[in-house]
Amino acid sequence: MSVFFKTIGFSIGLALIFTLVTQLLPQVEGEAPVETKVDLASLTMDDFVAMGEDLFMNKGTCTLCHKPPPIGRAPDIQGMDMVRTSTERFADERYQGESKDAAGYLLESMIDPSKFVVAGWGKKGSNDTVSPMPAIDKAPIQLSAMEMDAIIAYLQAKDGNEVTVSLPSPEAAAEVAAAAPAGGVAPAPAATAEEALGKYACSSCHAMDSEDPLVGPGLATVGRRLSEGEIRQSIVDPAAVITEGFPPAMPADFAEKMTVKELEMLVQHLAEKK
Amino acid sequence: MSEENKIGGAALLVIWIAALAISLVAFYGLDHLIMNMQGLPLNADLTPAG
Amino acid sequence: MRSNRQQSIRRKGFSNRLGWLLSLLAVLLVFSVTPVFADMGMGGAEQRIAPIGRVHIAGQDFVPAADSATSEAEAPELIAAPRTSRKDYPNIGVSSRAVVWILAQLHLFFGALVLAVPLFVLVIELVGLMTGDERYDSMAHEFMKISLTGFSITAIFGGSLALALFLLYPDFMGYMMHVFGAQWLVYAGLFFLESFFLYTYYYGWNAMRYGNLKWVHLSLGLLLNGAGMTIMVMANSWATFMMAPSGVNEVGAVIGNIWEVMKGPLWNPINLHRFIANIGFGGAVVGAYAAYKFLSTKDMEKRAHYDWMGYTSNFIAILAFLPLPFAGYWLMAEIYAYSQQMGITAMGGILAWLFIVQAVLIGTILLAGNYYLWAGMSRTEGSKRYKPFIGFIAFVLVVCFLTWVTPHTLMLSASEIAQLGGSHHHILGPLGIMPAKNIAVNLMLIVTFLSFQLYRRSDKVATVSWAPIGNALMVAIYVVAIVNIIFLGVYFGYFTNTVYKVGSSVAQVSSTLVVIIAGIVIDSLMFKNAKTLPSHWGRIPDRAQYALFALPIAFTWLMGLMGYVRSSVKTHWHVYTVMKDNSPDNFIPTIGYAGNMITIVTVLFLLFVLFMFWVASLSGTKQAKPETVTEGGVA
Repeated sequence: MSVFFKTIGFSIGLALIFTLVTQLLPQVEGEAPVETKVDLASLTMDDFVAMGEDLFMNKGTCTLCHKPPPIGRAPDIQGMDMVRTSTERFADERYQGESKDAAGYLLESMIDPSKFVVAGWGKKGSNDTVSPMPAIDKAPIQLSAMEMDAIIAYLQAKDGNEVTVSLPSPEAAAEVAAAAPAGGVAPAPAATAEEALGKYACSSCHAMDSEDPLVGPGLATVGRRLSEGEIRQSIVDPAAVITEGFPPAMPADFAEKMTVKELEMLVQHLAEKK
Repeated sequence: MSEENKIGGAALLVIWIAALAISLVAFYGLDHLIMNMQGLPLNADLTPAG
Repeated sequence: MRSNRQQSIRRKGFSNRLGWLLSLLAVLLVFSVTPVFADMGMGGAEQRIAPIGRVHIAGQDFVPAADSATSEAEAPELIAAPRTSRKDYPNIGVSSRAVVWILAQLHLFFGALVLAVPLFVLVIELVGLMTGDERYDSMAHEFMKISLTGFSITAIFGGSLALALFLLYPDFMGYMMHVFGAQWLVYAGLFFLESFFLYTYYYGWNAMRYGNLKWVHLSLGLLLNGAGMTIMVMANSWATFMMAPSGVNEVGAVIGNIWEVMKGPLWNPINLHRFIANIGFGGAVVGAYAAYKFLSTKDMEKRAHYDWMGYTSNFIAILAFLPLPFAGYWLMAEIYAYSQQMGITAMGGILAWLFIVQAVLIGTILLAGNYYLWAGMSRTEGSKRYKPFIGFIAFVLVVCFLTWVTPHTLMLSASEIAQLGGSHHHILGPLGIMPAKNIAVNLMLIVTFLSFQLYRRSDKVATVSWAPIGNALMVAIYVVAIVNIIFLGVYFGYFTNTVYKVGSSVAQVSSTLVVIIAGIVIDSLMFKNAKTLPSHWGRIPDRAQYALFALPIAFTWLMGLMGYVRSSVKTHWHVYTVMKDNSPDNFIPTIGYAGNMITIVTVLFLLFVLFMFWVASLSGTKQAKPETVTEGGVA
């Protein structure tokens, strides 16, 4: 009988000691990344840099590896002036990327880390040709183009360099996403007509709120000139009718690129511009 | 403890030194082997090569 | 008659104890569930708005347009992993994860036990046949008897777990069913096979005890183990698929066959690791059974039997335990190779603290195992020769243990770096790395093996002529290996770069392995036909038996802890990189919460194991026929 009590007591006591050890340690919870809404209207560059720092520390998980020696497993980015470093990288014969400036280099390093592997940090056995770093725009980290811009802004700003990335506008964010090199995540369908306009970069050739001609005609009152059907035709098959005095410069592949929903949203939106 | 295996003091010393030497060489070789297998060559004095 | 009374007294004590235990469990449960309630008020779903550039139409699933190069994406039958939102997870009032956690862990504990027991039962049976020692055969039979109920308990928890998963995580389970498809049917079919072999093996024991029939019986045991192992590796493939999916594309659509899905990068490391750990775990649990039986009898003959049984189980447990760190190292290396980020999340992120607890547990196991061996030396006459070593071994163990659990040898987490006011804290730098711990772990393994070797030698005297040479070589190997491990740790750990630091830990582990292999080879040659000194089973202090209780408790707890880290490295994913976890429990819980949960499952496991042993003892108990009370009978 007493044997039963003694052994059970001993066993549970031991389990409780182990529990106690876990209670004495620092209690940290690993929150899943929460995607926060960014108010573009009131976003300042300081906010953007702060957002980049937060991404660097948390959601981007950069500091898991990019730590000061000897505990780090990747170059100590926070301890280096990355703008100056990037010019050194361009001069390095092992550099395989195409970018010309610091912002481009940093983005490239996040999307395709193997473009330049710092000596000593390559994957084991690859002789510093393959980086162990995951592509930041892909799962599991999956930062958006805007978030990567914010990190670039932070890395430029932290050493007092000029921030060369621009604040995110819907257009810019979409363009960066669309321009991401092969392997980047393809852009998602736009939710509104405005986003679709940004995504397909209409405003780089068409003025949206005036009739002033740029590369193509202004579209402020396009609904007065063209019917819905004509607008649809102009997008899907631009060469069918070219407005007098303009070059046939409009891309002909929107029909392939756009989803049906995007096209209809755009047509509706433009037809209402009267 | 075992009566039948009486070995003289000098011979015993030789045996112990030889055993130590063999072990030293074996583990020295082991370090080189294991590090080389991982693509991390060592110099003769066990400092990292390259 | 006496054992009958003992039994009923034990049962009464059991129910008293049960009430006390239940209240303890209730307290723990409240602690562990509270944070979940607190979290639920936050309502994160509304705040999760996709960032610009990744927007998608409300109400529609986000469908990433795959590269046109991957033509498979256009095949019509490809179905991507579901994208869930918080409302897709039923809310049952308590944390769904906690429910699944408890059921999964209990299923796993019993599964491990009933896989391991037939394995070493088969080995013991074979040993009995080879040596002609009937003791082995009856012990093997007894092991089967006491674990028989375990098979049903495993199945009950397996069924409850599946039910809970389908109820609480319907989309996730739907996806897993879709990915593994027909494999589930094979899995279910194997249970019929396993049951068939189990019952024929157990109930046919005495019917097929001698001669050719014994070989039929052994074959049945082999088939039982084959079915069990196949079930285990199949179940492992689900866990490893969740950690490192293979055979699916970036969005989780199945592009490979079932074999490609199963054979992910972590599958074999997990298979090996669990296989070895199961044996150790099974040995430890059976050892506790023997210790309990030893303590509850004063009959010297029974004591001798259970002492021997406890020793053999402990021997199996420690033998399986020694190579476990190497299997663990392989697993960790494969995790790093699969995803450096996942590896660092485990070893250097917020989970890093967990390895302090792991150190405490492994330290407990090693200390208990060593203590039991030392205490067991009192059984033999020849052990006096080795007594002086015990002090040395104990000293090394304690120093290494303290080094191992010293918290300042940890990597710093991002938030800690932030608290220190910057990433450049040069004073803490040299302390924040692993080498000191690596040295400690390897030395602990080496001296544990030394304890073991001395114990094995304690009842023998070598008669071969080259014994002095063998001894000199053995001592030299120990000395040089220890020096080498310290050198590798200190030099490469503190004075070269990270790559060499990591590489040198492999060389350290190899040194430890060389000692173990050399020790086994030299001793088996040197003590062939050795003179055996008398030894007395049962001559061991009672307190040594408590080491046999410490072992399974620490083992169980350790398995629970490793389950926590294995599941947590997936962070907020059901299936890493393929299917996000958007449930309210998609965060990594604190180590304290995990500790409470692990203690709950450990205590529950203890209770169910007691039940299993009690049921086994029932079959050997026969109630005496009630005597008719005669008039004027004795009051």
